[in-house]
Amino acid sequence: MSMQLIVHLHTLLQIPSENGLVNRLTLSGQPGMTLGELVSRLGVQVDPEQTLLVVNGQIAEMTTELSDGDEVHLIPAISGG
Amino acid sequence: MSSLKVWRVNLTEQTLKVESTPEEWDRLGGRGLIARILVDEVPATCEPLGPFNKLIFSPGLLVGHMLSSCDRISVGGKSPLTGGIKESNAGGSTGLNMAMLGMKALILEGELEPWWVLHLSIDGVRFEKADELAGLGVTEAASILLKRFGEKVAVSVIGPGGEMKLASAGIQNLDKDKVPARIAARGGLGAVMGAKGLKAVVFDARGAIKPAVHDLNAFRSAQKRFTESLMAQQQTKIYKDFGTAAMTRMSNGFGALPTRNFRSGSFEGAESISGEYMRQVILDRGGEGKTSHACMAGCTIQCSNDYAGSDGKSLVTPLEYETIGLMGSNLGIDNLDTIAKLNWEVNDLGLDSIEIGAALGVAAEAGLLKFGDGDRAMELLVEIRAGTPLGRILGNGAVAVGKIFGITRVPAVKGQAMSAYEPRAIKGTGVTYATSPQGADHTSGLTIRAKVNHLDPKGQADLSRTAQINMAGYDTLGACIFSGSGFAAAIDTIRDLLNARYGWEVGLDILQVLGKEALKLEREFNQRAGFTRHHDRLPEYMTREALPPFNPVFDVPDEDLDNVFNW
Repeated sequence: MSMQLIVHLHTLLQIPSENGLVNRLTLSGQPGMTLGELVSRLGVQVDPEQTLLVVNGQIAEMTTELSDGDEVHLIPAISGG
Repeated sequence: MSSLKVWRVNLTEQTLKVESTPEEWDRLGGRGLIARILVDEVPATCEPLGPFNKLIFSPGLLVGHMLSSCDRISVGGKSPLTGGIKESNAGGSTGLNMAMLGMKALILEGELEPWWVLHLSIDGVRFEKADELAGLGVTEAASILLKRFGEKVAVSVIGPGGEMKLASAGIQNLDKDKVPARIAARGGLGAVMGAKGLKAVVFDARGAIKPAVHDLNAFRSAQKRFTESLMAQQQTKIYKDFGTAAMTRMSNGFGALPTRNFRSGSFEGAESISGEYMRQVILDRGGEGKTSHACMAGCTIQCSNDYAGSDGKSLVTPLEYETIGLMGSNLGIDNLDTIAKLNWEVNDLGLDSIEIGAALGVAAEAGLLKFGDGDRAMELLVEIRAGTPLGRILGNGAVAVGKIFGITRVPAVKGQAMSAYEPRAIKGTGVTYATSPQGADHTSGLTIRAKVNHLDPKGQADLSRTAQINMAGYDTLGACIFSGSGFAAAIDTIRDLLNARYGWEVGLDILQVLGKEALKLEREFNQRAGFTRHHDRLPEYMTREALPPFNPVFDVPDEDLDNVFNW
């Protein structure tokens, strides 16, 4: 049984496409998939030191296992506005 | 001792004294020096809009050399909004021109019958009547002043808000392209200037010479290393491409984007007010729009922008995250054009867009406008310009609106509205809001960048302490908050720049030394003004009302809040 994930790609991690930059994706994956595996599947370059990985509003790690319905944000870190 | 002088203008007597810098003031600048002067010279219990309050301008210690992102001007006095100490800083050209004139600080004492322009140059001070500027917005007033005094001067000017002594009024400064949009916004310093009868201060550095550098080679070497470090930071590129509006989706992702008067931390319209969306709109529309722009000469970050309408004509410069948060999601408005128009109006009135956005949010809670109704929000700003009773209530900020209309859901601490980070979702920043001597303000110590669980109350006071010390240090240097990543990666450059500039022998911990000194003095002033630990608290409702979507309350223990300044 697969799970559904919503992925938000911020600023520099937006993915170019024919229709412009993509910054939000809905993906399905196998339960137990890690954030690192998700990042690999997306093909985006993520420097863990300079990126905030956020799952359901909380800081996560590349090793964090994802669950059905999780909302993931990959955020090249900035310190404020 | 540096050669910089203290310029003391007695407005009542219309005199200028140029004084040597007292020894105990010499190693301070910007925010730290303002705290020192206020402690030394201003009775903390004085009426903020009376003659015993002083309005102080001070460039930070590194100002004057077009060091990237380090030419900020600090303005300070006792705040009519908080009743406590206030320092508010801005980019633009004022700091650089003050340093060129050799000013360590400009202290404005006493008061005049309105309205006057103070002209400061190598020839001293001139007092010029300015009745023709009365009632004008800062855009028109600045344009007239530039024609009158020449295009090369720097100008600090108040709008109708400051003239009406509204507690949300700031002091606008020209950016490097002469647009009066770099506001020392927070805490009502525009009202203090208005109370002193001044419409504008003109800093005319023609004929002045650059401030001396003790060891130019060492300074240039450190400058090069700092600039390289800053340029190597990923966040520098993000700010340049997306501006501070890049924060919109980040805050929303943490459930920390103030929405509908801080009732939620998530906004369904966040995408259409995001930095990513804004960049695309600016690029698609072309014309006068710019995705990046430097507010200060020499800045390599260039986080500012120019947001143009569909006709390609500028609607406002800059359009920043705090305004998007407070006048966008906080009002349920999901249209950048609408926010830009509101922003221009607030700028021209010379008001703090954070305080006004929060005041309008409370007003919406009271039924004065519907969330999402940008036209009604603009009507209320027109009320402020007209000086109607309702307009004046709004212009006195979120707390005033809450009191008048019986609303207790008011996002403010020590009388000052919160910035665009929900403290229940970013608890370290909540600690900063609660405990900063400045009142609720993200620039006093924002913690959202830290890789911690922001919903966990543990450790947030430690995080806030570090951030508050560092930020007070940067504000004393005159360094922009965004220079911090460059300095943090090359921390020795702060030491080396100061030692090269002044011939000092400070150590690697100088940022923290300066920050602690500033905070200690600020707390001393506030203590004398009557503040206690009971003022270092968030509004009660935030400790009991859960915040969607992740439903935290603010639960950092009082004991932790009381220990923030025990270092």
